[in-house]
Amino acid sequence: MNLKIIITICVLFIFIGSTNAKEIRAIETSDAEIDVRIFPAKGNILLLGFPCDEGRSIAEEKTALSLAEDGIEVWMPDMLSGFMLPKVRSSLADIPTDSLNSLIKEATKTGKKVYLIASGPDTELVLRGASQWEKNQKNKALAGAVLMFPRLFKEAPIPGKIPEYKEAVGKTRLPIFLLEGERTPNRWGIKSLSQALQKSGSRVKSKIIPNVRGYFFKRQDANRSEDVVTSQMAGLIKVSLFYLEESQSND
Amino acid sequence: MIKQLFMFVILFFLSINLQATNLKPFTANTPTPPLKLTDLQGKTHDLNDYKGKVVLVQFWATYCGPCRKEMPSMNKMIKKMGDTPFKILAVDMGETKAEVMQFVNEVKPEFSILMDESGKSIADWRVFAAPSNFIIGPAGKIRYTQFGGVEWDSDEIVNTLKALATH
Repeated sequence: MNLKIIITICVLFIFIGSTNAKEIRAIETSDAEIDVRIFPAKGNILLLGFPCDEGRSIAEEKTALSLAEDGIEVWMPDMLSGFMLPKVRSSLADIPTDSLNSLIKEATKTGKKVYLIASGPDTELVLRGASQWEKNQKNKALAGAVLMFPRLFKEAPIPGKIPEYKEAVGKTRLPIFLLEGERTPNRWGIKSLSQALQKSGSRVKSKIIPNVRGYFFKRQDANRSEDVVTSQMAGLIKVSLFYLEESQSND
Repeated sequence: MIKQLFMFVILFFLSINLQATNLKPFTANTPTPPLKLTDLQGKTHDLNDYKGKVVLVQFWATYCGPCRKEMPSMNKMIKKMGDTPFKILAVDMGETKAEVMQFVNEVKPEFSILMDESGKSIADWRVFAAPSNFIIGPAGKIRYTQFGGVEWDSDEIVNTLKALATH
């Protein structure tokens, strides 16, 4: 009898899980048609992530499912495939800002509060997109951005000198939340980066995640702490969104 | 004309050889930040006490791959520097003593490992990546910087530092 109940619960769980399956929508931008994986949710928050290369962002997809279960809709546009770009860091510069804006525009049409999110060097796309959006759409403000482990140096920092950052840094007024791992030298640059990001009026908050290295969620050699944090990534993002919401309500 | 061309070729190859050291001359007209930290044995090291020596101040961390890779070459460098007044102060970037001890037992650095758990000196020295290196001349001024892993026992680096010691 007990076994029957357990089996029934398991089947129900599988069924419930399948209702959260993503949908893929092709969005026409000025330069290309971009496939966007959408993890729909009923809440009033939409998280738009860049550039989300199809097939390689396994941890991100699990996180997106988890967020959608909690009512946060997630859009993951595959920018690199859309522009037929190789999945390498240098491709980021070839993603047109206009296309980022077309996707932001589609996201805002849902009527939800739109937050942007990216990690590593991809965070430059968020800043570039937000900056142009603010220039073109003065009445439709984005809600904020979460920059996870941002890598925004223009070039390798010279010891003893304040680093130079990429062009997009400090050009947006968007409220920003930074997440950085404790076990990466970049944690020591958080203050300097925050100051650079604030130049156009952004309010910037940051959080150091203990015992994790940079890109921990993509590592083959992840340690126990990193595995735990990866599995709790959705929670981290929700905390980040909470702080961004709170900073807005304090205005 | 041929003489001038010959001189140009020699100077060109000489400049390539100097660049091969990876050491960047430090041109900023800023004072050397203070550095006073304790090592793993609890002994306090003050950079001011090493005036008259060439000092390599390195900011590193156990989780930094290039730092781990280059440390054996720093041991060899000490031997190659011979009688030249020279000191290495390797500042760990904000880790615990337990973490550093595990690393030290494995890699066995033959130089002073200083602890900066609060990160104050990291901020003072404007360090944003690891490994970040500063070469301090005998007068106590920063003369070169270098970012990233390097073979410290290369002839180019050792000769540059020996030359610095005599100036």
